[in-house]
Amino acid sequence: MNDERFFDLAMKVIVRQGTDAERAEFDALLASQPELKAEFARLQADVRTAKGALPLVNATEATAGELPAYARGRLQTKVRHTLGSPDTTKHRGWSWRWAIGLAATTSVIVLGLLLLNPSRPVIEVAMLDTAGGVRGAETNQVSLLQARWKEVRQFSNALESVAWERQPSARGDFAKIIYDPAAAEVRVSGRAGGKNFTTTIAVEKNLAGALDEAVHFARDQFGH
Amino acid sequence: MQRGDSAAWDEAFAWLWPTVFAVARLRLQPFLPDEIEDVAIESLEALVEKVRGVKTVEELKPLAASIAHHRAVSLLRERFAQKRGEGKTESLDATTEDGDPKHDPASPDSPLDALEEKELAERLQKSLGALKPPLGDVLSDFFLHGLRYEEIARKHGIAVGSVGVYLKRGLETLRRIWGGRDDS
Repeated sequence: MNDERFFDLAMKVIVRQGTDAERAEFDALLASQPELKAEFARLQADVRTAKGALPLVNATEATAGELPAYARGRLQTKVRHTLGSPDTTKHRGWSWRWAIGLAATTSVIVLGLLLLNPSRPVIEVAMLDTAGGVRGAETNQVSLLQARWKEVRQFSNALESVAWERQPSARGDFAKIIYDPAAAEVRVSGRAGGKNFTTTIAVEKNLAGALDEAVHFARDQFGH
Repeated sequence: MQRGDSAAWDEAFAWLWPTVFAVARLRLQPFLPDEIEDVAIESLEALVEKVRGVKTVEELKPLAASIAHHRAVSLLRERFAQKRGEGKTESLDATTEDGDPKHDPASPDSPLDALEEKELAERLQKSLGALKPPLGDVLSDFFLHGLRYEEIARKHGIAVGSVGVYLKRGLETLRRIWGGRDDS
């Protein structure tokens, strides 16, 4: 009887999925190794924790549903009363304000994920398509990214793109590269050796070159 | 957003709405379904008041969720108190369709309710960061949706033998984040 078998049996017993044979096997195991009772009690507590927390975690990640039209005015009134009118002459504040502005032009993000190697730093690549997606030059740009990175996902919300940029993607070293056609730049951010790094590379006519530069910059940070 | 940019807030409200609505529904659907939308809107209003204390955009969703959770719980307790005041002692648990009220997210005395708004938001943010695909889905499929090992393996394209590994890792992660809370 190994730990994995005990764990699997315990899980099935706790959620009442076990067959009669599995239940009998589990009972016999506990009878022969009473010290496992404490471990079983701990797993039961863990499952209660999971059942309590997971619904809320899942709800936090919900993406379906639209804000009712009638609520917008009420909420904007709250914003004006609480925060006042924005200062339109200055553009300081959170660095992600640029993304919120771009969102008005319908942003679609194409995300590519490259796992260089499980034991090496992670590089993720994204594209912010302010032209609304797959047409014209943007199609070529998406194709260019897809040709270089095997896994591609899409987002359609600028706030989420900024959240993605800021969310660590790995416990260890990682880099996030995002191409922003509207700003004509490739931004790189990440962490290497416990230190954060960031840079911006202007894209003139050569996107492939800018992407190369971004990848090289990231690898330099990783010391490769 | 912190300076009241209406366009930025429009984007934020649209982005955060699914979260506050889903969290409010989680608590209120069995008892006060007509209040879900109001609680969700009120939660976004409350978020506006707290946004100056937010440092990064990734804090917004967990904070909005935490606010919605606490507002829904407060409303439930308020209605509970009203019922008791009217001499009605009906258990809200008894009205749930879930056969396991101890684990029902709408249970009025969930340990999650004991967490302060900020602490709950922080734990949610950590959970979102830690339960990367398919870990969170595997956990939910097994513990919430009742799928069997074989069904989970098929659904996520993983080996049956890996399902237990995911479950073990997920439980350890949740224990670390939620402090080994016992929901009983």
